[in-house]
Amino acid sequence: MNALQQEIAQLIIDTLNLEDVTVADIPPDQPLFGEGLGLDSVDALELALALQKRYDIRIASDSKDARQHFTTVATLAAFVQAQQEACKN
Amino acid sequence: MNFVIEQWRAWAPGLDSDEAWQAWSRHPVRVPDDDARPACDFLPAMQRRRLSRLARMTLHVAWPLCAEDEQLPFVFASRHGETPRTYALLSEVADQQPLSPTQFGLSVHNAIAGQWSILRGQRGESVAIAGEADTFEHAMVEAAALLSEGAPAVLVVIAEEYPPEPYREWIDDVPFSYALALRVRGIDADHGMQTGERWQLRLEPDDHHHDAASECPHALQFVRAMHEKHGTLDHSWKARRWIWQRIP
Repeated sequence: MNALQQEIAQLIIDTLNLEDVTVADIPPDQPLFGEGLGLDSVDALELALALQKRYDIRIASDSKDARQHFTTVATLAAFVQAQQEACKN
Repeated sequence: MNFVIEQWRAWAPGLDSDEAWQAWSRHPVRVPDDDARPACDFLPAMQRRRLSRLARMTLHVAWPLCAEDEQLPFVFASRHGETPRTYALLSEVADQQPLSPTQFGLSVHNAIAGQWSILRGQRGESVAIAGEADTFEHAMVEAAALLSEGAPAVLVVIAEEYPPEPYREWIDDVPFSYALALRVRGIDADHGMQTGERWQLRLEPDDHHHDAASECPHALQFVRAMHEKHGTLDHSWKARRWIWQRIP
């Protein structure tokens, strides 16, 4: 797990108030929603808000890709990185 | 209105056993509210993630009063509701920050009744009420109405949370956070077989017009009366005088 992935896993735990869950319990490729960690649509909204605040990125709520970006910690990390790089340019 | 209190359970910071409430009832003091919250570890962590402090207090007292396979109408009563959540949301609005979808979604008075329903698989009626300093008695009126419609028993929870600092000048009837759950039934004709404490509650007009809240909330005075075996309780608020009387 790289540093950004670890940071995002911790952000998920803190934002969604997941007691007894540690970063090690959320492997980068484990699905976050439904089967897997078991998050739901309200968590997705909460997480989107936290990511926007933390990384100063924008997530369009009607984006068809959003579902894909939110699949796992790894896809979220890749998305955040791409957004940050896009902003730099 | 006549009731049997079949079972009851109360919680406040540091007061979480019959012995602790017994001692408090002998010497009622304002206990320090240190933000303590019940663990609710009868629920898996994933199901606890959206439970506020007031929700945890409510679930903690209500949980053992409803059997696994039982459906009970539920009355949730709170005069002030979740003032810390309200204050946090309003602060975000004032700072022009986006609101947390979870916090916003749960900022309705019946949210806790909804969480009870989901977590316990309760598909029946539930009511969430807010009244004045006699919200406790109004919750009992709701329970009486449900019983008279044929419910075998009703679960009543009255819960209040110690307000955040900016509200304390205005909220003078919550000395500390507390929750009380009562499992209430009507009195059977053959009540010799019924366990629990029998009470009558009646309402009379009051000319004196009390509008200062008593130093101890009505629900906690009732807890005292249960422990100290008091025979009557007299709660006045504005033009309403509520008289509680034990039925021998």
